[in-house]
Amino acid sequence: MRARYAYALAIIIGVAILVFYAMDQVRTVSVLSFSLRYAVPLILDAMVGIICERSGVINIGIEGQMLMSAFAGFFGAALTGNLILGTLIGVGTGMIVGAFLAVGAVTWKMDQIIAGTVINILAVGLTSFFYAQGNVLPGSTPIVAIPVLSDIPLVGPVLFENGLFTYAALIIPLVLWVLLFKTRWGLRTRAVGEKPSAADTSGVSVQGLRFWNVTVAGLLAGMAGAYLAIEAAGTFERGFTAGRGFTALAIMIFGAWNPIGALGAAFFFGLTQGLASQLQADEVVAIPQQFINMLPYVLTIVLLAIVSGRIKPPAAVGKPYEKD
Amino acid sequence: MSTMDPSRTDLGFSDPDPRRSGPLDRIPSIVLPIVSVLLAFAVGGILIWLQGVSPLRAYAVLFSNALGTPEGLLRVMEKSTPLILTGLAVTVGLRAGLFNIGAQGQLLVGAIGAAWAGYHFQLPLIVHLPFAVLFGMLCGAAWASIAGVLRAYRSVSEVITTIMLNAIAIALVDYLASEPLKEEGQPLTRTPAIADSAALPVFGIVPSGFLLALAVAVFFGWYLTRTTQGFRFNTIGLNPSAARYAGISVKGTIVLAMAVSGALAGLGGAIETLGVTGRFEPAFNAGLGFDGITIALLARANPLATIPAALLIGTMRTGAAALQFQTGIEPEVVDVILAITLLFVSAPIVARLLFRNRNIKQTTVTSGWGS
Amino acid sequence: MHRKIVLAAVAASALLLAACGGSSSDSASSGSSESGGSSQAAGGGGEGDCPGPDAFCIGLVTDTGKVDDKSFNQSAWEGAKEAAKATGGYAKYIETVDPKDYANNMNQFISAGYDVIITVGFLMGEASVEAADAQKDKGTTFIGVDQFQADPIIPNLTGLVFSEDKAGYAAGYLAGLMTKTGKTGAVLGTDTVPPVKLFGEGYKAGALAANPNVEVTLVYHAPDNAFNDPEWGAAEAKKQLAQGADIIFGAGGNTGNGALIEIAKAAGAGETIFCIGVDTDQYYTVPQAQKCLLTSAEKKLREGTRDLIILAKDGKAPGGNYFGLTGLAPYHDTEAAVPDDVKKKVEEVVKGLDAGTILTNVTLG
Repeated sequence: MRARYAYALAIIIGVAILVFYAMDQVRTVSVLSFSLRYAVPLILDAMVGIICERSGVINIGIEGQMLMSAFAGFFGAALTGNLILGTLIGVGTGMIVGAFLAVGAVTWKMDQIIAGTVINILAVGLTSFFYAQGNVLPGSTPIVAIPVLSDIPLVGPVLFENGLFTYAALIIPLVLWVLLFKTRWGLRTRAVGEKPSAADTSGVSVQGLRFWNVTVAGLLAGMAGAYLAIEAAGTFERGFTAGRGFTALAIMIFGAWNPIGALGAAFFFGLTQGLASQLQADEVVAIPQQFINMLPYVLTIVLLAIVSGRIKPPAAVGKPYEKD
Repeated sequence: MSTMDPSRTDLGFSDPDPRRSGPLDRIPSIVLPIVSVLLAFAVGGILIWLQGVSPLRAYAVLFSNALGTPEGLLRVMEKSTPLILTGLAVTVGLRAGLFNIGAQGQLLVGAIGAAWAGYHFQLPLIVHLPFAVLFGMLCGAAWASIAGVLRAYRSVSEVITTIMLNAIAIALVDYLASEPLKEEGQPLTRTPAIADSAALPVFGIVPSGFLLALAVAVFFGWYLTRTTQGFRFNTIGLNPSAARYAGISVKGTIVLAMAVSGALAGLGGAIETLGVTGRFEPAFNAGLGFDGITIALLARANPLATIPAALLIGTMRTGAAALQFQTGIEPEVVDVILAITLLFVSAPIVARLLFRNRNIKQTTVTSGWGS
Repeated sequence: MHRKIVLAAVAASALLLAACGGSSSDSASSGSSESGGSSQAAGGGGEGDCPGPDAFCIGLVTDTGKVDDKSFNQSAWEGAKEAAKATGGYAKYIETVDPKDYANNMNQFISAGYDVIITVGFLMGEASVEAADAQKDKGTTFIGVDQFQADPIIPNLTGLVFSEDKAGYAAGYLAGLMTKTGKTGAVLGTDTVPPVKLFGEGYKAGALAANPNVEVTLVYHAPDNAFNDPEWGAAEAKKQLAQGADIIFGAGGNTGNGALIEIAKAAGAGETIFCIGVDTDQYYTVPQAQKCLLTSAEKKLREGTRDLIILAKDGKAPGGNYFGLTGLAPYHDTEAAVPDDVKKKVEEVVKGLDAGTILTNVTLG
């Protein structure tokens, strides 16, 4: 039912893109590239949310995870003078913060919302307290054009001429979809998120699986942070993640906790941003930008209100597991 | 609707159980926050020490400047006022089993609502001031009710809706203050100044808004523990199925609890506008709602305890400028200390240290996203 | 019972720790303003605590920003430090976190007997007027950076203001002469902040004055977080490059800086693709952009602040509005890429703008 609307929307957008492409290739490609770029950290962050929630753990600390990873990645790269090392430090930091959430929310059975809130508040405080000006990245990450594929009109320059994290953000949702729905790990993860007592009875370690899923998901938040600081903006500023981690939660829900759905939702919201800036640049119409910025949130609330009966979060999400 | 196991809700959110209201059992609820704050100050002290400043001196500056001068005291009271109210907003939600992360958005909406009511009308003070205050509260309540209704009737988690509503509110008030409600003839994004008849007076160095916030905190201390409605909040918070069994309208109570919570945050915004800033300007209200979460948890969802918790945070935020002026420590150290406080208060680290021989039950104040 | 002991032990250890910190750090704290993660503890510069009423003391209050913001707060602070050196005085700053503390932060300096107080940013305008008015007869001089003074003028408050449209115009003029593709763009903070809009519209007017056939694209960030979204700035810059713009003006704090950094990564940066910075010579504040940085549309904020403080020391701060200079920063690494006749024309335009013989005709609608 719902999927049909999603397909219809995707087809309409696809046709519209082709029409625009026929009218103005340069503008269409560059707006789509902008949209993808805007979507990359949202995709990675939404995957974090999906892995955690599918395992039964709410993660509202993604924004903080990303901010700390970006901080560590940037200063790691700047101080060691090595981009790869910095990237690894950033991604690793995401995982460490993920482990922190896992200890709090899973091992200690803290309230999950509070655990995430602590991460967010701590991230803002620590990164702005320890921020130091005057550090510069030792270079920039390469743009890799994939042979043959990048020569395809429209699709090539948008999808196949990007940095490595961008490719990762495009591939990971597909991989995660397969993992979640076609593998034993996925079956167990979903069981732990939906009916942990049944999973427990059938011999799955609820606590263990939740702990590791939340920890490893932190890697993706780390990638989002490293992407922002190293591949995309090439700098770190206090609070420069600008709420992307929260937008990702909206995207996770909008995508119905499905990696492919979230990929589509992230691109859709990227597109609204890209279109808004292009309409302003071409002086066609200046939509008050506040409305563009609130769009993902408004749509998510409307969606939740309409389809709440049919689109459901994992049943056990938010509840620490207690053995009976 | 999730069934909340009362044994796991051990933060002292509920009315004290008569069977364990002996003096000994009351100690933990006071000890934990105090120890957490002290430990957070110790960790903050290490950070300060790493910057080459004596922590003792830094803390002396932080507090003496805020509390030692009349202007400092006025600012502490002004700053604590919205914190008490957002803390109460989160507290009322927690009591009813709702986690209202949206106090920030509700405060913004309340602040701009009060500004509009304050400048748009020319009324005698006796009518205008209460009207502007109430209108701000109403805006906050209405904004929070979106989340309340969705939670009650569509089973949508209030956590996710209030996060979304925060983002929407930030954009919305910015739009309102830059377009339809903008003050003419000047470039800033802000509303016109409120009329004198809508301004909250300051008595000596005591802002009337602060007194109002204190009165509201005391009122809720009574309301949540001594009235039927307060009992209903607690019951649906602790055990919604039992509440339903007892004939309490769970849905209606959820909507009411969110509305009350939003009204409190909106009141915080209204007092900011009518008592401190005199108009609405988006940048002037940043971050207040998030401190509310820290305060509510520090106060263990006790309405009266939000007063000292808010005063502590208000004092630190007031003293931060003097701290930088006299020691060079950046004001962000306050945020670090607060985050560590929140961590210690909510994570079982400190609790385990203190009560090693007790089986520490963890707190779950919220239900899942949509269940 | 044992709980109380634990509590006491924790409290005692906290105090002990604080005390240890105190005794062992005294040596470290004296004179070391470079310790820890923060590069500027204790005020920095030529500077430090105000030693007494006989000394000349300068206090600076930032807008809700930091003195290392690579933008106006930083420039003003550098000006204050230079003035402190030049006058043998002392300079110190307070960073505002909550805009409701403007008055409180100024009071720190007032009650410590500071001679000059600099308030940075047009958002502080009203707070500055109030504070200056209250100190009218008490010998404290106020300098309001980016704060236009309307009547009635407060005698001890001088607004250091700039014609951003002139700086933008000069930069746009250069871009109009330099562009090979006939397209130039600007990535800007929000148009709800007047100086940003003046920069943007001035840039457009200048580019069109140089070459009426140039296509100029102005894109402003949404008001929320407008000056702290470098990744948006970078993405927008890349989009404009892809659409054929070869010179892009980045004006909007970290958002604009993000655009500059992105352009420096582009193929042909510094040869066919250029970027233009804003406020200060961004060759120094955004070193990542050195490769593409053609110039910066400068407000001589550092110089203006310094000069006004020095005037204030002699009791000659004029009150009312003091127009600081605007202009273009040196070409630095792109020097060779700019033809001599372009340099000459741009120089004339800058002079004409200063002299008032060239008008930008930019107004805020």
